[in-house]
Amino acid sequence: MELLEFARGPALTFAIAVFIGGVVFRIVSLFMLWRTRDSTANRAHERPVVIAALREIIRRMWPESVYKQRTLFTAINGYVFHIGLALIVFFLLPHIVFFDDLLGLNWPHLPNNVIYAISIITAISLIAALVMRIANPAMRIISTFDDYFSWLVTFLPVLTGIVATSHLGARYETLLGLHILSVALLLVWLPFGKLMHWFLAFVTRSQTGAHLNHRGAQL
Amino acid sequence: MPERGASCLDGQTTGMAWSVLAEVGRLLEALAQTGEPGYIDLRSLPLTDADRGELETLLGRGEVHADLSLAGASEVWETAYAGAWWIRHRGAGDRIAAEEIAVCPVPEILKTHPVDIQAASRRLRHDLQQPRDLQQPRPEPAAELSETTLETSHVCQE
Amino acid sequence: MSAKNNVPDKNTGPAQTAAQSPAPTLGETLAERGVSRRSFLKFASYTASIMALPPTAATAIAQGLAAARRQSVIWLSFQECTGCTESITRAHAPSIEDLIFDFISLDYHHTLQNASGHAAEAARETAMKENAGEYIVVVDGSVPLKDDGIYSTIAGISNLQMLEETAKDAFAVIAVGSCAAFGGIPGANPNPTGAVPISDIVTDKPVINISGCPPIPEAMTGTIAYLLSFGAIPELDHLGRPRAFFGEAIHDRCYRRPFYERGMFAKSFDDTGARQGWCLYEVGCKGPVTYNACATLKWNGGVSFPIQSGHGCLGCSEPNFWDLGGFYKPLSTAKNEPLKWAAGAAVAGAAVGAASAMAARNLRNKSLKAAAAAAPKTAAEEKE
Repeated sequence: MELLEFARGPALTFAIAVFIGGVVFRIVSLFMLWRTRDSTANRAHERPVVIAALREIIRRMWPESVYKQRTLFTAINGYVFHIGLALIVFFLLPHIVFFDDLLGLNWPHLPNNVIYAISIITAISLIAALVMRIANPAMRIISTFDDYFSWLVTFLPVLTGIVATSHLGARYETLLGLHILSVALLLVWLPFGKLMHWFLAFVTRSQTGAHLNHRGAQL
Repeated sequence: MPERGASCLDGQTTGMAWSVLAEVGRLLEALAQTGEPGYIDLRSLPLTDADRGELETLLGRGEVHADLSLAGASEVWETAYAGAWWIRHRGAGDRIAAEEIAVCPVPEILKTHPVDIQAASRRLRHDLQQPRDLQQPRPEPAAELSETTLETSHVCQE
Repeated sequence: MSAKNNVPDKNTGPAQTAAQSPAPTLGETLAERGVSRRSFLKFASYTASIMALPPTAATAIAQGLAAARRQSVIWLSFQECTGCTESITRAHAPSIEDLIFDFISLDYHHTLQNASGHAAEAARETAMKENAGEYIVVVDGSVPLKDDGIYSTIAGISNLQMLEETAKDAFAVIAVGSCAAFGGIPGANPNPTGAVPISDIVTDKPVINISGCPPIPEAMTGTIAYLLSFGAIPELDHLGRPRAFFGEAIHDRCYRRPFYERGMFAKSFDDTGARQGWCLYEVGCKGPVTYNACATLKWNGGVSFPIQSGHGCLGCSEPNFWDLGGFYKPLSTAKNEPLKWAAGAAVAGAAVGAASAMAARNLRNKSLKAAAAAAPKTAAEEKE
């Protein structure tokens, strides 16, 4: 029980503190940097900045038709594991209980076996993403430690969650402890690697949209 | 009051009674062909109260029923299938402490051991020699126990 | 109560195996009291069944018990609540479960013995001397170590001292209850008396942990019966608990498991789900991580157990169960209050973020100024 106690206790407390501190650090340090002022004149058909920003966030949710052929699988596979992860995290009852205890928020849950099926699909989808990265020569050349480690800290909670739910291989308290520790690892790494796209994706897409909009690009 | 306390599955049968009955069938066949006794510990099986009742009904009752009083009440009866005996041991408050199905000619617990017989014989001989006085209460029986009385091969014996 | 009694030697009786002393066997002693051979068999069947032993073991148990000497047991009570004694004793008519008290000679027990004061301690010392190497020590309650163990003393000596001197010549030590097995209530945060489990002190001989708060009575009596019958320790798990009683989690044998699998949970006590007997995960049940026989043997003679009565499992047979975050905190929640640190962490993150941004800005300004200073004069400036 000691592993589980450590995982639920000091490990989670530390991980959540680092997660909050790290995310705030990244966002504050980014927004407090200088801005290059663009003093050029307004272009024709320029949309309001906020609209342009929002449009770009939505526009980039699907590949351009020019690239679609080559990136279709990556796009679909990406949606599969992103949606899968969201469903698992937010609609499995023990997870909802965790959020309820932490934040006081509560919402309906999906049946356990539905989530179980989704998590198998998500795990396969994540493995496919890794295989694609390694098999593609260009991707392999440009991949860094961040890419692989971020993949690992995302995959481990899904894997340990499946193993714990299935009560496979070790005593349940050990499996649950490992699952919670893997989530703690994810939380600690998130602000400092490419997983920060949880928050920054909306920032970068907005900035790109606003900038291109001002330059008169018809998107 | 239910035997083991109410639980949501108690009223439902799960089909276990038929599995146990099949096992009894296998043991009875072995006994018939080779004389080897068999034994099923009902307490260790996941039987609901309804399952146990169903099993009791399926096995039925035979010609023999014995009530034992030893450290609480116990019951032994031969089921409708000769050679398959039901042994029910009750403990404190008449709850069922142990329950088993013994497949053998006669359960060991019903038999009287030779050493007990010798002791009883000695005692009766002694009582017969006493002056007959009907007002005197008979002395309480006291069985003589020793290691050799328990050198039995199993619960059941030929 | 002592191992010897006043029965004259029976020459017609069977040869005594391994008879080192003229003391009668258990079988002979109990025969005198009218405990028949059939009662032995009944008890043996019962013990074999609850210890999850094969049926053939019933005969071995009956033989072993009959051939044994009446076992001297010294029960030491330290930092405890007497719940374990309450659990093992009975108030009603003698029955199969009470036979264990016929099989042992309970030579020392604070609550049950007649003697008190010096006479009680003398009884303990006599039992230790007469049965050296053969007596069993049963301990309930934890032992305080802080400040030389002054927080619990009996007969003028600390618990630590009494345990060390009593366990020295014992055959085996049974730590009964979660306090003796793992530290229990006295050992819970902040553990002001420095309470430790018995196994931390007795390291030179086997210690069997029968945990639980209190333990299930059959777990205690079944283990003692096993020890008497076979003269050996039953199979133990990694925490020193007999596998026969602690081998499975409550969750694995819980009758509410189908509701868990189907995701039907009671949200609070006495709501609709609770009334229909749904799983108690959300109200803090620790069943999945607790190992005990509650779901099968149950309590009070098989009447019920906490989950059946509508309350989640407390995890009382596990170490540190008092410090798991709370009886009503589900297993999937954080144990402490992580958000306690949230504000501080955010402020710290903001401060570091601001500082790094300012540093970057300063660096940029410096390099811009340096570039401006080092730049060649423009034609306009040249003219001036």
